[in-house]
Amino acid sequence: MKRLFTAAVVIALPLVMAGSAVASPADDSSAIRSYFSKKFPAVELNEFGNGVYAIDKVSRESWEAIEEFPPYETFVDAGEEMWNTAFANGKGYKDCFADGPGVAHKYPHWDKEKGMVMTLPLAINNCRKANGEKPLKYAKGSINDILSYMTYNSRGHKTNVVIPSDDPRAMAAYEEGKQFYFARRGQLNFSCASCHMQNSGNYIRSDILSPALGHTTGFPVYRSKWGTVGTLHRRFKGCNKQVRAKPFKPQGQEYRNLEYFLTYMSNGLELNGPSARK
Amino acid sequence: MKAKLISTLFAGLLLVTPFVAVNAGDDDKHHGDDGALKKAVAEATAAKKKAASVGGEWRDIGKFLKKAKKAAKKGKMKKAMKLAKKAKWQAEAGYKQVMAQKTVELPSYLK
Ligand code: HEC
Repeated sequence: MKRLFTAAVVIALPLVMAGSAVASPADDSSAIRSYFSKKFPAVELNEFGNGVYAIDKVSRESWEAIEEFPPYETFVDAGEEMWNTAFANGKGYKDCFADGPGVAHKYPHWDKEKGMVMTLPLAINNCRKANGEKPLKYAKGSINDILSYMTYNSRGHKTNVVIPSDDPRAMAAYEEGKQFYFARRGQLNFSCASCHMQNSGNYIRSDILSPALGHTTGFPVYRSKWGTVGTLHRRFKGCNKQVRAKPFKPQGQEYRNLEYFLTYMSNGLELNGPSARK
Repeated sequence: MKAKLISTLFAGLLLVTPFVAVNAGDDDKHHGDDGALKKAVAEATAAKKKAASVGGEWRDIGKFLKKAKKAAKKGKMKKAMKLAKKAKWQAEAGYKQVMAQKTVELPSYLK
């Protein structure tokens, strides 16, 4: 018996020690915040939700002009119509989202029952499927309408991602997302952090790199380059391709966990989507 | 009638045979290349799968392999081989890249 106990301690001790060496999500967040507040001392925390326009005065001016006639407005309207149009079975989005359309701040969240990170696009398609409707595509197309409408109605709510301590799988998902963010990938051997942390504020070709902090608050985003509104995971794909890595599937586990990590970093920042970008 | 047809065919065959024989050397060489290319493509495809299994595939590997097969169809064996080898090299590099970063910590500039 005693021997068994000793054996257990011998096995468990290194695990505990390894565990304590791992930074908690709160540690990660405060390290990243203090990095950006030193790098951009003039930028207030909530301003980071405006991406590159928070740190670049020149492009901010034209952006403010664009925001006077927001290019995403028609998408919000189209989304409102979707919200108010009944499915073939007579039900609608209202029946799935009982608290109304302004619930984007409740995503992403850990879904204990399903054992996975639940995102808003995924919840929208779960609603459709449960009511016999075809799921929408996750990168382009009309998912961006309903997302624009729901996000617009969520403006002003604060990002508040929780990593529940009663389910180790949630922490594992966060850690996977974090690993994804800091791992170098692709032929160019860049991590997300290489560009959006270490080189934020620097030019890459004609673009100034935006800081990672606040990266999730404004999605979906109308991009002039796209000529339309696109999802966060569409942006992830684009950034993976830039470094010549093969992108992952929108709403696959990799990007969902990445979203979980990245959104946690913006906890406390107000949602301000949909937004307009170059 | 039947016999005549057969003998005509036979004669035709005889006529063709020398050409086949003359061309055989060249064909053989192609077959050799084809075998080596098939092997290189198979190796690259396996390496690509292995890289993908850990999320380390690079963007253009699939494109290289497609181009390699296209080049081979046009008989451009050298070009095809080069592309297949490039695909394999990138796939192996992508796998190694993931393995080298199994546990990333916050970079020093964040500490
Ligand atoms: C080679 C540099 C580079 C890398 C690596 C990179 N990105 Fe980007 N990313 C950009 C550029 C350029 C833009 C557009 C300008 C900007 O907002 O920074 C951008 C924009 C974004 C945006 C939109 C920001 C906004 O305000 O609209 C997000 C989100 C994003 N990247 C996430 C990521 C993630 C996640 C990764 C890792 C998978 C990543 N990026 C890797 C270059 C990069």
